[in-house]
Amino acid sequence: MRVPFFKMFMTSPFEGLQEHAEKVMECALTFQQAMECYFSDKCKTFEEFRQEVTQIESQADVIKRRIRGHIPKETMMPISNFLVFRYLREQDGVLDAVEDTLDWISYRSETKIPEELKKDFSMLVDAVIAPIEVLSKMVAEARKYFKTYSEDQRVIVKDIIHKLRRQEHKADKFEDIIKKKVFNMEADAVIIFHLVRLAETIGSIADHAQNAGDMMRAMLSR
Amino acid sequence: MPQEFYVLIFGYIVGFYMAWNIGANDVANSMAPVVGAKAITIRQAVFIAVILNILGAVFIGSHVTNTIRKGIVSTEILTDPHQVLIGALSAMLAASLWVNFATWKSLPVSTTHSIVGAMTGFGIIAGGFSIINWIKLAAVVVSWIISPVFSLVFSYLIFKIILKLILSKENAFFWSLKLSPFFIGSTVFVVVLSFLFKTPLGKNLCIKAPEALMMAFIMAVFFGFAGMNLLKSFVKGSKLDGAEEIFRFIQIGTACYVALAQGANDVANAIGPLAVIYLLVKTGSIGATVPVPIFLLLFGGIGIACGISMAGHRVMETMGKKITTLSNTRGFAVNFATATTVLLASKMGLPVSTTHAAVGGVMGIGLARGVEAVNFGIIYKIMLYWILTVPASAVISMVIFKILQFLL
Repeated sequence: MRVPFFKMFMTSPFEGLQEHAEKVMECALTFQQAMECYFSDKCKTFEEFRQEVTQIESQADVIKRRIRGHIPKETMMPISNFLVFRYLREQDGVLDAVEDTLDWISYRSETKIPEELKKDFSMLVDAVIAPIEVLSKMVAEARKYFKTYSEDQRVIVKDIIHKLRRQEHKADKFEDIIKKKVFNMEADAVIIFHLVRLAETIGSIADHAQNAGDMMRAMLSR
Repeated sequence: MPQEFYVLIFGYIVGFYMAWNIGANDVANSMAPVVGAKAITIRQAVFIAVILNILGAVFIGSHVTNTIRKGIVSTEILTDPHQVLIGALSAMLAASLWVNFATWKSLPVSTTHSIVGAMTGFGIIAGGFSIINWIKLAAVVVSWIISPVFSLVFSYLIFKIILKLILSKENAFFWSLKLSPFFIGSTVFVVVLSFLFKTPLGKNLCIKAPEALMMAFIMAVFFGFAGMNLLKSFVKGSKLDGAEEIFRFIQIGTACYVALAQGANDVANAIGPLAVIYLLVKTGSIGATVPVPIFLLLFGGIGIACGISMAGHRVMETMGKKITTLSNTRGFAVNFATATTVLLASKMGLPVSTTHAAVGGVMGIGLARGVEAVNFGIIYKIMLYWILTVPASAVISMVIFKILQFLL
């Protein structure tokens, strides 16, 4: 069999990126449930949600390693493999940030969110979830663009990237509000540190999503 | 002469074995882009390839059979019929062994170049270095560079044109239909020219270059517009899907052509030396040219067809799953580039390999950023074996020649 001719045709890394993005989305939904659980006083299942996120993260890790391990140096792609790696790193950064957030909470689960901050925190969580949900759509639309190189399709992907940026900006604002309120709170320094760091970690989820968007923007450059 | 009768029987077996190998291997090159683009199923591809290879071998093949045998080794060697008999047999056996070895090691080698190398080996040992037509041999070396490079440039340009004029447009389906006469027309143009230039058909009809060009052009225009009207009536699609669907039909056409041309060209590799043996055994002497009986061509064609149907489908199956495949527009670009390269190169008198051209074609698409991922790490290995083919089959041929000389 003339297999070498066929060895040229390999598994597309975009396939993996898409799969990874879907894992990220799956993780985001579990993260949201975990946070809602943490905000409510009666919830007992936080630890279960945290375990689930860890599990999803390790599944995504397998996909990540598979992508990284299967792009030989001589691979020809519509974009440089360097960009694929950078994009993947940012998309994976989202997962890490989600995991970090839940870990951070678990280090001191007796700290409960004060009543007056609950609404802000829940808005911050919603604000960071929104950009994550867009990632897999962005990858799918980008793949369509690389099929046709049509300007319209490029605009669609660019719009998604803009949306990501706006959402990150929104999340930033909530983060600022929370930090300001926390520092003006009459509370124990440990609690203040825990809450401030919590807000920052949640905020970093959106940062990574935005960075992924920036990498995608670099892929689209002509 | 009972001894020569045995040689003939042995020759038939080796010839069939060679044809089988060609069928098992080369079918991938013509049909792979189509199957990969899911334009047709593997079963359909095998069926089409079998029919067209036999047709190509029987009706178009004879001309090529003569040139390959004549080109590399000078006619001086033909004075000793016994030596030629052994030589033809050892060349055929050496080439088959090398191709089979390559098949086993899954390395892509050109069957054309294997037979060229084997002939060279026999020529050197029988008549010394002076008997080899080095210019012809240099042409083989040149073809290593020319066929992939030509094909690369062609497929790159064709794909860029398709991208610019069709795919990037908002209404890709509309544009692909509107421009389909151009793409169908150019395909028909290349196909008609190939038949007129490369096959005995053109010679029989006494058609000269300007007339051939004119004829091809008229047919291209006719089939281009007829094709568009046909497509209009039965391709219903929207935007991108529709555009790909239209190229699906054009691509099937080009693949059929490649299969036909393959039958015509490659049958010579298996049948050329067999024709020499056949003629020597029947008449006892041999001239500068060998008339190839139709039944030998049919024999070769059937051998190729057996190879395709027994082993070819396995190659195509590997295309099926878990790999980035070419879409119809990309597949068309590769096929068209391959066909055009083979036509141009053989017009220049170069013994080109379809394999080389196909690899170049896929590279062109890769360079045009047309595929999500193609691995070209394998290209160095492929090139190494392109180069190794000629000396390796030459050496094997020499060894077999010595052994046979001792035995017979």
